[in-house]
Amino acid sequence: MPYNIAMVSDFFFPQPGGVESHIYQLSTKLIDRGHKVVIITHAYEGRKGVRYLTNGLKVYHVPFLVIYRESTMPTVFSFFPIFRNIIIREEIEIVHGHASLSSLCHEAILHARTMGLRTVFTDHSLFGFADAASILTNKLLKFTLSDVDHCIGVSHTCKENTVLRASLDPLMVSVIPNAVVAENFQPLALQKNSKLYSYDARPAPPPPQHLGPHDTITIVVISRLFYNKGTDLLIAALPRILAADPHVRFIIAGSGPKAIDLEQMLERRVLQDRVELLGPVRHEEVRDVMVRGHIYLHPSLTEAFGTVIVEAASCGLYVVCTRVGGIPEVLPPHMTTFAKPEEDDLVGATQKAIAALRANRIRTEGFHEQVKKMYSWTDVAERTERVYDGITGAISEEEFYGDVSGGGWSATRGRAGVQSFALIDRLKRYYGCGIWAGKLFCLCVIIDYLLFQLLEMLAPRANIDICRNWPRKGGKSERVDEEGDEATPLRMARSRASSRRKGRLR
Amino acid sequence: MLTTRPHLTTLRPSPTTISYTVSTASRRETLRSKLFHHILLSLRIILGLATLAVLLAKSLDEFHYMLNSWLEYIDKAPWSHVGPLSFASFFLVFRRFHTEESLLTLRSLGIQTSTLSPSYLLPSNTRFIPSSQIRDIFIHEAFRGFEVRHYLAVVVEGEGEVVVVFPKLLPGRAIVEEVWRGARECLYEPKD
Repeated sequence: MPYNIAMVSDFFFPQPGGVESHIYQLSTKLIDRGHKVVIITHAYEGRKGVRYLTNGLKVYHVPFLVIYRESTMPTVFSFFPIFRNIIIREEIEIVHGHASLSSLCHEAILHARTMGLRTVFTDHSLFGFADAASILTNKLLKFTLSDVDHCIGVSHTCKENTVLRASLDPLMVSVIPNAVVAENFQPLALQKNSKLYSYDARPAPPPPQHLGPHDTITIVVISRLFYNKGTDLLIAALPRILAADPHVRFIIAGSGPKAIDLEQMLERRVLQDRVELLGPVRHEEVRDVMVRGHIYLHPSLTEAFGTVIVEAASCGLYVVCTRVGGIPEVLPPHMTTFAKPEEDDLVGATQKAIAALRANRIRTEGFHEQVKKMYSWTDVAERTERVYDGITGAISEEEFYGDVSGGGWSATRGRAGVQSFALIDRLKRYYGCGIWAGKLFCLCVIIDYLLFQLLEMLAPRANIDICRNWPRKGGKSERVDEEGDEATPLRMARSRASSRRKGRLR
Repeated sequence: MLTTRPHLTTLRPSPTTISYTVSTASRRETLRSKLFHHILLSLRIILGLATLAVLLAKSLDEFHYMLNSWLEYIDKAPWSHVGPLSFASFFLVFRRFHTEESLLTLRSLGIQTSTLSPSYLLPSNTRFIPSSQIRDIFIHEAFRGFEVRHYLAVVVEGEGEVVVVFPKLLPGRAIVEEVWRGARECLYEPKD
């Protein structure tokens, strides 16, 4: 059963990143499976209004104030009128929010529940419980997740974290990992006989690479240079790794506030000839950088999934990473060496990896095929679709949740997982959030409901145009409108696409 | 009562010319709206004539005797009051309450967009785009206020921004699609 889905998040292209590509890839695959997907995000520099991406993926860049690291100002209600308009004109049934730091996503989930839509939330990051910022974020998360139909975590660690932070029932959180487009991350050897590859014949295994004791080993680091990505750890460990072995080189790509610290360290220790800084790299160039190395070093301090290490392994790199968050779940042990997130251990693990590579104990040639079998976006889309089936009641709750004979459902729930939209039931769910917070949240929900009723009067549904859908591939025009001959929407779509190139509304 | 939702009027005098007009003027189909229209029209005329009379009386000495008897206070009122008041009254008299925008398409010549000004005295705002400069006509969507609207736009060669047709009214999808289809059909020779 095809659904109309709106993906809502502050984070989307043109900004690069894991969440952004997750949303894009998932949406593309869902469209391939016959659903309709639109993306709602805020306006980026030079990206405002309605855009179309490949495959007819429609993106609404809503003009909003950005405050910190591309997150919008949390205003709770100001997003509602535009959101309601988009939801009605696109005939959306399911609202799927991404990323817990995105206030747009939280607001959208709240408004969607007020409007009586099914909601899903995907968490992409891990948070602590102790510092002030985390407490605030967690409270906010608890607010929106009190009344969400289902949650998705990108790893088991992420699921555990979300369940604890938002006091959720573990049964309503699924784990669906990220994936990689393995075709975009092929090792060097495969690229050469790519003809063989495209004929779907099983490619001949590339000749194993032999590294002598004096061959240069290149270590690649690609990450945004932020504190949470472990740049400080890298700065501390890097000179020691280089000092221990004269035949090691580094390639570091990425930008961020810690780039200055890194450059200062290189200048102080005069390591410029052994460390290459590439600055910001576009996502499609990442593969070309990765295949220049032998080892991928990932010093992150917190990571829910770590798509980049899957990409590195797919490029045939041996991975050295910190044992934090969801990283240990991501790759099988023969592809990785783990270290504790501290300087000594990271240096030790890297040296062990270098020694193992020099001793030819690691067969990196097979990594690409193995990763390709493990992670695919089609699989992610299938599993996400099952979540949609579960929350809309298309599959029974026994099938969706497994055995529920324990029946530990709270009184506020009508059917397991498929939550009722009645305002009083929603208020019951929010009231349990805390002594003061519960009452505050209830107040917010009531205001939101009144606002919704007001909007229904001021901007009646009848006045909102339903927009045309992107024509389906393969002549299946079940969704093409009544009066239009089949060629017309196509032409219109084409000229719409041309508008993307040519200009903007004044 | 003064205006309605935007409605489309199509005029096609020849196969190579087509004119689309979107207007919010009341269509005066019912007796009630006809009556309302005529009452409003006569009120306007009366108000306009009355203002004119007052201005004449105040400025020309020959008419002073008119005021002596029953409108003495007009004579006493200073110009600083009468001036703005009569200005406001003329503004109301010549004010156009509805908006009307049109698109005229002439094959092998070009298209002309026009927007009627909010006053009967001012000329309408028109723009002619020769067909040699028209690159494309398309429908797209954009944010406007708290909603997303469809709009019809013309891409003009050598200009950084597109020309939006019906920029004030931004009629709904049904109207915009009809105009888009007709304008393209009329502007470009049918391919046989």
